[in-house]
Amino acid sequence: MIRLENVTKIYPNGSKGVEGLNLHIKEGDFVFIVGSSGSGKSTLIRLLLKELDPTSGEITINKVKTNTLSRNQIPYLRRSLGVVFQDFRLLPNKTVYENVAFAMRVIEAPGRVIRRNVPAVLSLVGLAQKGRSYPNQLSGGEQQRTALARAIVNNPPILICDEPTGNLDPDTARGIMELLDDINKRGTTIVMATHAKDIVDEMQKRVVTLNEGHIIRDIEKGGYDDEA
Amino acid sequence: MRPSTIKYFVKEGFGGLRKNLLMTVASIIAVAACISIMSFSYCVVSNLQYMMQQMEDSIGISVFLEDGTTSEDIEEIRGKLEKLEHVTKVTYVSPTDSLEMLKKEWGADEDIFIGLDEESNPLAHSFQVDLDEISSQKAVLKSMEGIKGIDSVEYGQSVSEAMVKISKVFQISGLLIMLVLGAISVMIIINTIRISVTNRRIEINIMKYVGATDWFIRWPFIIEGIIIGLIGAIVPTLIGMPIYAKCIHIFYDYIPFVQSFVQFKSMSDVFVFVLPAALIFGILLGVVGSVTSIRKHLQV
Repeated sequence: MIRLENVTKIYPNGSKGVEGLNLHIKEGDFVFIVGSSGSGKSTLIRLLLKELDPTSGEITINKVKTNTLSRNQIPYLRRSLGVVFQDFRLLPNKTVYENVAFAMRVIEAPGRVIRRNVPAVLSLVGLAQKGRSYPNQLSGGEQQRTALARAIVNNPPILICDEPTGNLDPDTARGIMELLDDINKRGTTIVMATHAKDIVDEMQKRVVTLNEGHIIRDIEKGGYDDEA
Repeated sequence: MRPSTIKYFVKEGFGGLRKNLLMTVASIIAVAACISIMSFSYCVVSNLQYMMQQMEDSIGISVFLEDGTTSEDIEEIRGKLEKLEHVTKVTYVSPTDSLEMLKKEWGADEDIFIGLDEESNPLAHSFQVDLDEISSQKAVLKSMEGIKGIDSVEYGQSVSEAMVKISKVFQISGLLIMLVLGAISVMIIINTIRISVTNRRIEINIMKYVGATDWFIRWPFIIEGIIIGLIGAIVPTLIGMPIYAKCIHIFYDYIPFVQSFVQFKSMSDVFVFVLPAALIFGILLGVVGSVTSIRKHLQV
């Protein structure tokens, strides 16, 4: 599903983002990317989203070699990737329903498909009753659920989460993780960058640890600090 | 493109303008000023050209021949005149024809011509020479100098030269003012759209992440630009139409004799060109402004 071969990213100012990364993520995997600040997690996420291009090496996502994609083709790559951020990034002047429908509208989904899929996905994330609320009327957890609904409403095969629980209290975070687990069980491949040791330990999924741009640990099933 | 998508673009376009009302109004005024100047200079230039055309049709050059010219001489001179560059038509006017014309022009007072007949007609043989355009008059007169048998020529030189000059001045100054105002309009539109883009940067960012194409993101802003351009074009044109009609009216009322030798273009003749030109130009200003301002912001 996702394959990185010898990927290096050096920023224009000379600092190294990641170096010589080799990573293979299979369809249906749930992978945590962990590591301290500056370890290269964000660079890796941005490379996957094709926000950045690698300095060298090759990235393949959903059978597409992203290095050679033209600018016009990037939107179509991104349609196969759902994205969730730490800061939710909801549109404050749109309701929950509209925020989710927005993701379908911008890829020009037909109106009837929008009217069918949005309520379905809202009920999946447990917000069936909150469709008319605005983001500022929601709790942090509910806002992240809205963002999750928006990320999966177009049914992407891959979901990329950048610190999705970073702004949430432990209980709320646990709820989001249950939801992600649920989404993963429905077949979506999930890549989640996180600092949250307790969550990683609890979930017992594949853990890839980065340090100074290198993969120092890759455990098939384990916790934050487990030895390979 | 789906109808629902188009509806979405238009709704977003209007929404952006509403949120940013002050700049929207400023942009519309800038476009309107530009379009007004464009329309005004077109009105002046096109009317001057129209008048010149009327004068070209009616004036031309009258060539009077020397006394005692024989009919062979007349034919020879006609041949020479016809060969001159810029000459489109040469019409022979006999002294009798001239007399008849004079009588007609004097109308009620034609009595004064009593006693003048074929024998005692003092008028000369002459040619009415029509030219392709009024500005070639000088050149034609120059080449006539060499033709033997011509006594004198008559032409509306001062009027025609003045009109050519005025028309040029309006054409050039109109174009210059239009360019300057056009550039100012584009800059103000760029700023307006840029504010709109900044207001919606989170939205644009999300759109990019969920896979919206660049064009999908651009369209609402282009529509904003088009709306600014359209309103900026329509308003001054609609105001300009009755003003133009009124101006002609006032001209004819205060200087009635004007009407006897030149006509202004009718309002419909002028605005059948000005209206579409203003719309196209307005839209162009809007599109150039919006495309320029969003180009930078699409890099995610």
